Amino acid sequence: MKRSLLTAILAVTTTLGAGGAIAQTLIADPAALVTHEGTLKVMTKFGMQRLAPYFADLAKAYEAAHPGVTIELIQEDDDSIKSKSKTLVAANAMPDIFFSWTGTWGGNFVRGARAVDLTPVIGPGTEWGKALSPAAVDAFVYDGKNYGIPLYLDAKFMGFSKPAFEKAGIEVPTDLDALLVACDQLRAAGYTPIAIGNKEPWVGVHYIGQLLAYNVPRNVLEADFEPATATYDDPGYVAALEQFGQIADRCTVGKAMNGISYQTAIQELSDGKAAMYYQEIIEFDNAASATTTLKPEEFGFFRLPAPADAKGDAEALEGAPEGYMISSASENVALALDFMRFVTKPENGKILSAPPYGQPSAVVGGADAATMNPSVVGGLDDIAQASYLIQWLDTVNHPRVASAWLSGIQAYVGGDMSAEAVVASVRAAAEAAK
Amino acid sequence: MKGAAGTSTGPGRADGAPHPIRRGLGALWSLRWVAVALGIVGWFVYFPILNNFVVSTTRHDIFTGEVAQIGLDNYRRLIADPVIATALWNNTAYALLSILFQVFGAFWLAAIVEGLRSDRWRSIWRAVYFIPSAISTTVTGLLFYFIYQPGIGILDGLLTELGLEHLSRVWLGESSTAIYAIIAMSQWQGFGYSTLLFSVAIQKIPQELYDAARMDGAGSLRQVWSITMPMTREMTGMMIIVTVTGAFQVFNEVMVMTAGGPNNSSQVLGTWLFEQGFNQNDMGYAAAIGSLIFGVTMLCGVAQLWYTRHRRVLA
Repeated sequence: MKRSLLTAILAVTTTLGAGGAIAQTLIADPAALVTHEGTLKVMTKFGMQRLAPYFADLAKAYEAAHPGVTIELIQEDDDSIKSKSKTLVAANAMPDIFFSWTGTWGGNFVRGARAVDLTPVIGPGTEWGKALSPAAVDAFVYDGKNYGIPLYLDAKFMGFSKPAFEKAGIEVPTDLDALLVACDQLRAAGYTPIAIGNKEPWVGVHYIGQLLAYNVPRNVLEADFEPATATYDDPGYVAALEQFGQIADRCTVGKAMNGISYQTAIQELSDGKAAMYYQEIIEFDNAASATTTLKPEEFGFFRLPAPADAKGDAEALEGAPEGYMISSASENVALALDFMRFVTKPENGKILSAPPYGQPSAVVGGADAATMNPSVVGGLDDIAQASYLIQWLDTVNHPRVASAWLSGIQAYVGGDMSAEAVVASVRAAAEAAK
Repeated sequence: MKGAAGTSTGPGRADGAPHPIRRGLGALWSLRWVAVALGIVGWFVYFPILNNFVVSTTRHDIFTGEVAQIGLDNYRRLIADPVIATALWNNTAYALLSILFQVFGAFWLAAIVEGLRSDRWRSIWRAVYFIPSAISTTVTGLLFYFIYQPGIGILDGLLTELGLEHLSRVWLGESSTAIYAIIAMSQWQGFGYSTLLFSVAIQKIPQELYDAARMDGAGSLRQVWSITMPMTREMTGMMIIVTVTGAFQVFNEVMVMTAGGPNNSSQVLGTWLFEQGFNQNDMGYAAAIGSLIFGVTMLCGVAQLWYTRHRRVLA
């Protein structure tokens, strides 16, 4: 009796602790009637002051067109959205529409049946699917089904100050050695060659992601991203870390980067104190604008140069589209889809692609070179030429493996771990995650 | 009358005492006055504590909601986890330095401030020391981020001006200094609040005691040692409990300043719990860390309460 009572208490408390029942898989119905009534909760990654008005304006416009609808925005930033998403998942309180990265991050929502299967409305051959960049739509495919609505494309480039390069008398470097030499010349000219803030450890991990694409064959990388097949024994891992070490030593403030925020670092480029900053295309309009010392016409970009003897793919580029999913717990999936159709209209895509937002839209016809920063237009062309896009290491990997990369890179930069030790810690994390 | 009195005691008891069942029912009935409060405390305080222990024996995937019973595996992992050792040390250092500055330092500062003859200066100094406590941790974190910034921060600038540039560090970016830089910020912020509490305790000490001591020839230091210190023992005990418990529950300061980095060197138990639960999706292990925090703070609280009571009995 006592035992059964204890078992019952344990069962009840465990269920409560787990946050209740698992959400059911839901498949979007393209014929569902949209009732323009009720409240939609939308969690975005546009919490930064510069980006926040975008969804706020769209919500107002949608509410004005449909007076029975109220849009509640939850606007987070790059860092806060990670924990916010998981907190809401744990509490079974996911908003109707929520931001997602591709890779393992989005895969978690699919695995847990938290996201609506959107194949019937956005999959191959559908009208909406044809209105979006095919590569961006494909990035949200899991097990052959579509789960995400891509909003914009993103990739990492080295942004640079043309006046700094002119003053130092250097050209855009074409390989890693040339970059290191350029750094020496820029330092001699009085510039911090590359501004970097690794207080938020994903910054260093983004360098490693691109260098891994250069140093490790794609099939090996993709096998290692899955804990079940991961071995992490390719020599390219150590090579990539050592190349990052060279960049840190000759081009940056070295281990001091661990005490600097990425926002401070990008400001150094904007203020004309640093010559380069490795940034996402969606940050181009933030780095150089009418209000910064570095003006948009003085801003240039190039891919992080590959080492001359790279064993991986020198044409690969780090990046991924970013988008939104519909919660399977939503009581108004049809309305949520209608709102996202509105968000992905070409005219709204053009607003998103142009300053001050500068997020190159994933909508076909959602980019107008006349209104966009020319660098963003050039970046989009470059993305189209990449042999493949390697996703962010901190979202493509299992959280435990991602954590090993994040802390390992900080330790490597700080001199607390060797390149071999970092790779060993990643290997151990993958082993533990199996 | 006697007979009537005898029957009035109720069934079965001739000695006038109520029957145990009736007494028990009466006690239960009187509990109605506190039932709501007990229910709220039970549901919001004691049930989560119990549930945390249960969750700590599971592997819990927050995305799928799947829960697997794994016994004490999370506690075995806790023992082998090197970051737990780092976090425990960081929390302990936080507690020790906080006791030094926010209890003993604040006591002496309060004694000095309350020893001032001028009411106006006493008020001014109380306000001056209290102001940092009124600033939010996020704002304080940002302020100290700029103070500690390598090369251009005020701290490095000050060291350079003093010819001590060799002492410059990447305060928040080096494994050996990050946690101490955070603790220093926390002392700056919490020092004034503790001082104010001690000031209130000192103000309650009867002035006659100081007058008598002065007549006996006791100097200021002797008065603090022989009157102020013993008379504020209760407050000191309470402050130590609050400080130690707070040091093991610290979270905001570390999240704002370093988020546990670099390389987990400034992790404390609270931030490591958060990292495991909400970044690594490992709620079971996070709950085990929660149990450890509960155990440590409970132990500190009980030990301190016992010590304070023991001293009171001896006094």
